[in-house]
Amino acid sequence: MIFVEDLKKEYCDDEVKTIALDNVSFNVDKGEFVAIMGPSGSGKSTLMHIMGFLDRPSFGAYKFEGQSIEDLSDDELAYIRNEKMGFVFQFFNLLPRTNVLDNVKLPLIYTKISEKEKQERTKRAIESVGLSHRLKHYPNQLSGGEQQRVAIARAIVNNPSVIFADEPTGNLDSKSGQQVMEILQNLNDKGRTIILVTHEQYTSEMAKRIIKLSDGQIVEDAQVVDRKIAKNGLVK
Amino acid sequence: MRFKDSIKISLIALRANKSRSFLTVLGIVIGVGAVIIMMSLGKGAQGLILGQFSSMGSKSISIEPGSFDPKSGFSQGYESAIEEMTIKTMKIKDAEDIKKNPLIENVAAYVFGVGRVIYGNNDEKITFYGATETFHEIDDVYPALGRGLTSEDVEGMAKVAVLGNKIAENLFGDEDPIGKKIRIKNVNLKVVGVLEEKGTQMFVNIDELVYLPITTAQKLLLGSDSVRWIVAKAVSEDVVPQAMEDIRLTLRENHNIYNPEGDLSKDDFKVMSQVETADMVKQVTGILTAFLSSIAAIALIVGGIGIMNIMLVSVTERTREIGLRKAVGARNKDILRQFLIESITLTLLGGLIGFVGGTMLSFLSSFVLSKALNTSWSFVMPFGAVVLAFGVAAIVGLIFGIYPARKAAKLNPIEALRHE
Repeated sequence: MIFVEDLKKEYCDDEVKTIALDNVSFNVDKGEFVAIMGPSGSGKSTLMHIMGFLDRPSFGAYKFEGQSIEDLSDDELAYIRNEKMGFVFQFFNLLPRTNVLDNVKLPLIYTKISEKEKQERTKRAIESVGLSHRLKHYPNQLSGGEQQRVAIARAIVNNPSVIFADEPTGNLDSKSGQQVMEILQNLNDKGRTIILVTHEQYTSEMAKRIIKLSDGQIVEDAQVVDRKIAKNGLVK
Repeated sequence: MRFKDSIKISLIALRANKSRSFLTVLGIVIGVGAVIIMMSLGKGAQGLILGQFSSMGSKSISIEPGSFDPKSGFSQGYESAIEEMTIKTMKIKDAEDIKKNPLIENVAAYVFGVGRVIYGNNDEKITFYGATETFHEIDDVYPALGRGLTSEDVEGMAKVAVLGNKIAENLFGDEDPIGKKIRIKNVNLKVVGVLEEKGTQMFVNIDELVYLPITTAQKLLLGSDSVRWIVAKAVSEDVVPQAMEDIRLTLRENHNIYNPEGDLSKDDFKVMSQVETADMVKQVTGILTAFLSSIAAIALIVGGIGIMNIMLVSVTERTREIGLRKAVGARNKDILRQFLIESITLTLLGGLIGFVGGTMLSFLSSFVLSKALNTSWSFVMPFGAVVLAFGVAAIVGLIFGIYPARKAAKLNPIEALRHE
């Protein structure tokens, strides 16, 4: 479903050209759980932004479900993000002064489905991350782990085919982090494609496949041999 | 994205910074409030003045000495006042001749003067009107006690007086004034009647006047046989223009003015209808109201700049939020719309507060004015002012909201998400 070929991304800043991605090629099939790994500055976030239709490549081809990024307008990209992609960020990015229900509902307000359907989907998403008792709470009343679970509920509320998670455990204690990973693994088990960006070896081993980046180039692309499974806040 | 969602988001954002939002809309509140007050008071003043004219009746035609200045229309100000006093060509005969016209139902001629009226130890400064007996019908004022003036009084130059209600009370208190002698400028007059309470008509309080036969006033008090003004009543409103033209011809003939072209500036008199005068007043008060309101509207522009400023701050503060919204599928126009609705909500809120405050202040001022000036000033809230208050508030929000909203809509989602 994801097709990346000779992808190149350059930034021009004060006449200094920085190459963030250099000739990156790979495919991701439906149902995969891919960890993109690398030290900071390796280009992993840039790669995820392009894959998530948040940014455009300088050169090369990127196709998502058969649609090529260069053929799509900004509004069409927004539409596909809304319909088929879910995002989880390191800093949660929940709206302040907005309760859990409305935070999770956020992607749906940009769709045309009925209000009743929006409510139902929102509640189902919140239930699936185990926060049904927190509907009317505000983000500042929740722990970091709970906030990230709200963010995951928001990412799945539109029933996306792929979830992009950018360092989702980076800002959490290890137990909360493992709860988050458990949810992601469960989502993957149900057939959703997950793209995880992380710099932690430990976290990446919970994915099924690891793509290692260094200085904008792929240095390793392999299946995880001894996959770790998170369950009840523990890792086996 | 539904409109309701946009409103909800706006309200959350505005509530998040309550005092800031309030201070921001203060400019709009003051602007809208000031415009409302100006329009309401302007309309109130107009109503008051027009009310005075309409008491004269729409069939009324007034004739005064003076001339028509082709440059400025009817001459106004001190020149006109001097002309009215110095041109002595208008006589009672003019009134009698006007009355012969079948288009004219009734005519009254007037002179006036000021002086002291004395009864026993009581002494009042008053304005007296010398009038033909027809003034009762023309001014629609009749005796409540005793009798009014009669044609015999006028023809016989009788030394009689009819008192306004308030003067009678001030001079006589509980005493019966009928048959008592009063003195004005060393002329003894017998009180034959007291008028009903009437209040102000054409800016003159009838209750504070003393009426005498016009002949008596001319000969004994003023020493002149000229007439100060004439009021004629046409048989119907439709014939007023024709009657006015007839009156001009009659007076030109009486005053030996050769004016076949009907050049008004050659006449030594001016003929005006109530309708014309009312139109003039409407125009003048209308211009004044518009002028004052537009000064007040400057506050709206200042308020609008305040809104723009705070919306720009808001866009910067909420960069991450904008990035997130874009990431989850908001299009540029969704973001644009959201920020526009936010600034319009802000200004409409200001408009509402300004409208309520302005209305309350206008109401209070009309109350104070009517009490202090003892006039029939009434509170008016023109519908136009309501539309203007909310219309202008919304437009200010739209215009000054566009720049910040565009800035928000153009943000790059990644940059916005990275923003700390």
